[in-house]
Amino acid sequence: MIESVEFKNFKVLRDTTLPLSQVTLIVGPNGSGKTTAIDGLRAAAGKWTPGLDEVRTAGQHDDSALPSIHLRWSDEFGNAITTVQWNRVQRILSHHGQGAQRNLGVELQSRISLHLSGLRRYCLDAAQIAQPTVLQSHLEFTEQGGNLAGGLDELRDQDPERFESLNQELSRWIPEFDHVVFDMPQPGQKTLLLRTRTGGHRIPASQLSQGTLLALAMLTLAYLPNPPTIVCLEEPDRGIHPRLLRDVQEALYRLAHPESFGEKRPPVQVIATTHSPYMLDLFRDHPEEIVIASKHGMEARFERLSDRTDLDEILQDAHLGEAWYSGVLGGVPEKS
Amino acid sequence: MKVAILSESPADEAALRILAAVIVAKAVEFPDLPLRLRPGGWPSVHNLLPTVIKHLYYHTDTNALIVVVDSDNSPAHDAAVDREKCSGAGCRLCRLHQTVERVDAILKPTTRPPLTVAIGLAVPAIEAWYLCGIDQHATEAAMLRRLKSERHVHLKNALKRQVYGTDRPGLVLETSKAVEAASRLAGSLDALSRHFPCGFGSLLSECKAW
Repeated sequence: MIESVEFKNFKVLRDTTLPLSQVTLIVGPNGSGKTTAIDGLRAAAGKWTPGLDEVRTAGQHDDSALPSIHLRWSDEFGNAITTVQWNRVQRILSHHGQGAQRNLGVELQSRISLHLSGLRRYCLDAAQIAQPTVLQSHLEFTEQGGNLAGGLDELRDQDPERFESLNQELSRWIPEFDHVVFDMPQPGQKTLLLRTRTGGHRIPASQLSQGTLLALAMLTLAYLPNPPTIVCLEEPDRGIHPRLLRDVQEALYRLAHPESFGEKRPPVQVIATTHSPYMLDLFRDHPEEIVIASKHGMEARFERLSDRTDLDEILQDAHLGEAWYSGVLGGVPEKS
Repeated sequence: MKVAILSESPADEAALRILAAVIVAKAVEFPDLPLRLRPGGWPSVHNLLPTVIKHLYYHTDTNALIVVVDSDNSPAHDAAVDREKCSGAGCRLCRLHQTVERVDAILKPTTRPPLTVAIGLAVPAIEAWYLCGIDQHATEAAMLRRLKSERHVHLKNALKRQVYGTDRPGLVLETSKAVEAASRLAGSLDALSRHFPCGFGSLLSECKAW
């Protein structure tokens, strides 16, 4: 897993390190570098190939302060470092060790590259989720949740047991529905519907609420038989009732700690952003999984919540989410 | 007798229903009320309890309410001192009892019977109760000793690992383990009361008096 990401002169992240866990929830005001950090990871994974002008800090034209990102890997990846640097001509990506062990073997380099290439960012959008899937080989769940119908149909055919588990979980999350069913609106297209528990009515995706569609997409992501190696999720709580956030958290944990859910696949590293105090409350017993992003003028910084020595005192009589909202933990908008 | 339960999770509620059905000497019904505390329940129960009591009293025919919260790292209950003093020292059990007394005093008489409230405090979390009878160190006194040297978050996560096999259990697993533990404990309430005299013992005697 990636243990931390150091940013230098990368947009608003001028000089800060993002500490990461198997699950990391980044919370902070708008413009505090949460999405920028995810973009940095995407750039390191080759999912985004921006030029110098797209990533350098605003107003910074000095060539002695060019942008760079350093990913520090865990033991499992030989404590390697992946560096992405930009200069006027190109973007340079390298994987290397530290000190005398600077050169990594070819096998380790390709393992890191392969792991990074499995990174996916999701910013789920209800309208995209509801769209019919045009059937083709190698369907992939898109960034915004497109191809959900096709992906679920594939899951039903290839792993019926897992598909049934997903349906059971769906009926626990949203008790008015008990099953995902499918329709073919046109040849070569698949669309999904949810069957109501009472009466067995089939409600097309286009008529489902946004929250229901977003919850279904989150659930599907957690039940993918071969999920991405690293999942970056923008606001997984968006559009979802606060009481359902416990289930959303469970979906994140299912991805990141599969052994806790009886799954046998490798763990996924999950990095999520949120603005929800309710979501934050759920991570109270794992403060090492929370990173507070703060903005100071034109610069943003990250701080792991568990590094706060006064945390127990703060949480004695306050919800974590309320304490964050109040500003005592930082990570709130600056005064105008 | 209609009994409402206010706790942090559906898993806790499932366990408390099993225990309450055995403790309360009368036939018990659990009305389908959507009551729930925010995760990390203490701050919300402290603020929310008056509202919940008023709602149950004026708008439902519920006879009793059971509230159970985690003690986390709050000061231990001291039965040797009066409630005012113990509450002032930060004891959550006494603070909640005071809140109930304050609300009781302002409820307007109606034709309905009074609403009684029983309060439990799990030290440091309900998982410690679930381990009673399985782990000889699962006692209130032992937990309070551990809290002196361990951060409560670490202790709570260690208890979760012991009960669920993971400190990030899914709700299905959490509920099944909670129900399993409560079903076992329902047959040994005296032992649970002896090992957790303040947090569970007081809940037991309050419920028995209904």
